[in-house]
Amino acid sequence: MIASDLLDVPVHDDAGAQLGWVVDLRFVLDGAPDAYLARARLHGLVVSPRTRTSFMGFERSSVRHPWPVAPILRWWHRGAFLVHWPDVARVPHPDEGAGPGDDAAVVLRAGYTAYEPGL
Amino acid sequence: MKSRLLTVALGILTAIGGFLDAGDLVTNAVVGSRFGLSLAWVVVVGVVGICVFAHMSGKVAAVSGRATFEIIRERLGPTTAGLNLAASLAVTVLTLIAEVGGIALALQLASSVDHRLWVPVAALAVWLVLWRVKFNLMENVTGLLGLALVGFAVAVFLLGPDWGDLAAQLVPQVPVQESAAVYWYFAVALFGAAMTPYEVFFFSSGGVEDRWTVKDLATSRLNVLVGFPLGGLLSISIAACAAIVLLPAGIQVDSMSQLTLPIAEAGGTLLVAVVIVGLVAATFGAALETALSTGYTLSQYLGWSWGKFRRPVHAPRFHLAMILALVVAVGVLMTNVDPIAVTEYSVVFSAVALPLTYLPILVVANDPEYMGEHVNGRVMNLLGTVYLVILVVAALAAIPLMIATEAGG
Repeated sequence: MIASDLLDVPVHDDAGAQLGWVVDLRFVLDGAPDAYLARARLHGLVVSPRTRTSFMGFERSSVRHPWPVAPILRWWHRGAFLVHWPDVARVPHPDEGAGPGDDAAVVLRAGYTAYEPGL
Repeated sequence: MKSRLLTVALGILTAIGGFLDAGDLVTNAVVGSRFGLSLAWVVVVGVVGICVFAHMSGKVAAVSGRATFEIIRERLGPTTAGLNLAASLAVTVLTLIAEVGGIALALQLASSVDHRLWVPVAALAVWLVLWRVKFNLMENVTGLLGLALVGFAVAVFLLGPDWGDLAAQLVPQVPVQESAAVYWYFAVALFGAAMTPYEVFFFSSGGVEDRWTVKDLATSRLNVLVGFPLGGLLSISIAACAAIVLLPAGIQVDSMSQLTLPIAEAGGTLLVAVVIVGLVAATFGAALETALSTGYTLSQYLGWSWGKFRRPVHAPRFHLAMILALVVAVGVLMTNVDPIAVTEYSVVFSAVALPLTYLPILVVANDPEYMGEHVNGRVMNLLGTVYLVILVVAALAAIPLMIATEAGG
């Protein structure tokens, strides 16, 4: 699996209701030491309810500049949340989502926790 | 320690690619011969704009070590950044085609040998420099030799124009014999050329090649403040030469050879020789800049190792991308297409590439995770936002203006 298999993919809850789209992946560096750094581990997905366009990193911090770019993006992505990887029940197979009308989606477990996306 | 002059070579070379590449050399003379200096204000607006964004991209490169297309990919995500990559590559490769053709035309001026015979020679020479020559030496030699274009500024003084008359032309107005649409088409084309996206790709990657760190922020600023205003000044000088000699005579410019007519009148053979050296160096420098930008953007988007500071064997796909771009350039030129006309169509792709390039730079320059204490101040943010709006308006206006005026007819 590569990052593009998850980015831009719709997100559903276990009842099939649409929650939004995956707009970013959150990694932590706590694995075994690699060539330069600790190996990265997928920590969770950033899900935005209204758009699949990029949040441009504003979800990580409280940066308010440059005006008006930052406020517009914050408004557009309001309600974005972080869901931890263990709360993800199913991800689309890499071959899914090729055709139009295909309902490839990330499905979350019942009772998943939506976290604030800020660091 | 490097001398002050060589420290700013990167800025000068970057500005040559923006203001004095083959397409712009001719456009400047066309503008001067048709509109006098009534479009000089656009160059000034463009110089300020590219200074703002080149400063930000150089600052990000120096502080975080990341070049512009790396942050574009990171902030926009693969899909939108991919769209920008396609548009930016189109602009860059179209310009590279014009530059290889431009070197050939400039060598024809020097040798009287047909330019089509020079095309493979020019491409081979560009490739050899990309493959063998150290970045530092490359930027110093082309930057310094490109300064021979100062001959155009010298020629303005030697021609001894009526300064009052010349100054009166600086007022923005549409000349009686031209339509407003054509005036604004050239205004947008000059502005787009000044702010063309490969300048920041090259400048920021060049900062990484020159191993800039936080200590080099002053160097970055100096490069910006010397390079781009100098490029703009030479661009206006070319227009002024054409305005003094060609405009009153009613001569319409359509080729590179006509650039030297005012020079010959002002300074004779010697000045023409100096200017031809400058033309070859400028087109050669712009060819290097666009070829390298092709490799930089593609490698930074796809996560390949890149840079001339690595030996080719350690950045094979980066070098392969540049070789392919040069092969495409030679192939297109062999169809006998007019190399200068090719660049007119890059306006269409700039409409996509410009906003998608400058927005991520502005965002990252505000991110304290990357920039620490060096985040943008209020003035830079205000200028950046204002220019982003101007860019979008100009980019949207460019396409209907190009169609309505048949690219300046």
